[in-house]
Amino acid sequence: MTIKTWELDPNFKNEIMSEPGGEHLASCFQCSTCTLGCPIAEIASEHPEMVPSFNPRKIIQMSLLGMREEVLSNPDLWVCLICHTCTARCPQDVRIADVLGAIRRIAEKEEEAGKLKIESPRPLFDKAFLHQLEKYGRLYDMGLAKEYYPKKEGSFIKGMMAMKNDYKDFGMRMFKKGKMGPLGGHGLLKGMLPSKIKQKDVMKKIFEKVEEK
Amino acid sequence: MSEKKLAYYPGCPSEATALEQHMSTEAVFEKLGIELTEVEDWNCCGAAEAEDPILVYALNARNLAIAEKEGLDIVTPCSICYYNLERSNIALKEDESLRAKMKEIDSSLDYKGGIKARHVLDVFVNEIGMDELKSKIVKKVNVKVAPYYGCYIGRPPTTAFDDPDDPVLMDQLIEVIGGECVQFGHMKTKCCGGPLMMTRADIAFEMGRKILEAAKNAGADCIALACPLCGMMLDAKQPDIEKALNIEIGMPVIYITQLLGLALGIEPSKLGLNKNVVDTKEILGKVV
Repeated sequence: MTIKTWELDPNFKNEIMSEPGGEHLASCFQCSTCTLGCPIAEIASEHPEMVPSFNPRKIIQMSLLGMREEVLSNPDLWVCLICHTCTARCPQDVRIADVLGAIRRIAEKEEEAGKLKIESPRPLFDKAFLHQLEKYGRLYDMGLAKEYYPKKEGSFIKGMMAMKNDYKDFGMRMFKKGKMGPLGGHGLLKGMLPSKIKQKDVMKKIFEKVEEK
Repeated sequence: MSEKKLAYYPGCPSEATALEQHMSTEAVFEKLGIELTEVEDWNCCGAAEAEDPILVYALNARNLAIAEKEGLDIVTPCSICYYNLERSNIALKEDESLRAKMKEIDSSLDYKGGIKARHVLDVFVNEIGMDELKSKIVKKVNVKVAPYYGCYIGRPPTTAFDDPDDPVLMDQLIEVIGGECVQFGHMKTKCCGGPLMMTRADIAFEMGRKILEAAKNAGADCIALACPLCGMMLDAKQPDIEKALNIEIGMPVIYITQLLGLALGIEPSKLGLNKNVVDTKEILGKVV
């Protein structure tokens, strides 16, 4: 990779460090301990067809150098498991998993502003998940799937077909075990209807006010 | 354990995919004579999907504040809920301006920092203690177990309550109930892949396969775990992993609360042992 020094953004590291979770970025001394313990880096070495490369050490160094565009459009950001193996082993307390989270949030903001196209459905999934909390205060699996799949697939019909393909067998399994579906579990419509909290207004306030900040 | 009452935070999967974890947690605490009071009107902790720490703190400030009003420490059987509750607890305790910010959002988020968040495994071993547990055990769970800890028991260091690379609490519990831990090495703490299940199932399935096959190769009768996302990935999705990768595994996956419950002499149906996806009958046959 050619580094074009005239295209570097010296402020990028500060941008990351001012996001909650990104504060410790500058402590990195590039020892690679994060990458050596990373289970996704392991998958990349065993199955390059699945994950062509994965190197958190490199993402950190590129961030410190100010390679803003390359970092924010890096597909590696979206396959991090947030398992914190890197965080636990880092001798410099960089808290890499949290730093990557901060970078992901900057990338999402860039996409919302129309400046970046993220080639992963993960932001759509996270948003669909959070919408359930905003509406009901708890996770509603069916609501999450119904929102996520059409957005991921680009149309309602395609989304429903993909959902059926992924979850037909799983749904039947959960139904048979009485965990989801009509007549299962504790009630007639277990898992089919959202479990709502009483103070839904507080959830609304949390999401509105955290977004403002 | 001096305190005989705890606030109980079941977490979202307790109502659906991890029903058996919820059932067995309640049954075990009842048997141990510890009263669980469910956090009234609890909300989701934000799981792994809420990436903004401020949002996580706000969501959990409400849950912590409800338990604090009751004057009770909060306990949860879910490793992710534990991580979110405890990291919020630490952040809020340390930072007065953050607490003020929370209160500004809504008065119900007014948490003063007066309680602890605990994982059930931590409570069993470090609070109730082995001596008391031993005195209440009536059956031998004579099984070979692969103790699987996943991510948030030993990591990250700020909230961890066991060793990041060689955790021991579940091993100790398994020994006490008469089981045998198989050599499971670094697989104990390798992520199950769950967080990528909905966005990169191919990677998630491969991660799950590694753990399941390692347990099988180590001669385990079952995997024991303490997190509903790991349970979803390794148990509920096991048939999908087998189908996608064209392999056969058939490895029972059981929550540690279920195994402990069996040793305490609780009825298997009360522990939800008919709700695990991979059949658990063979395990039940080894409880003597």
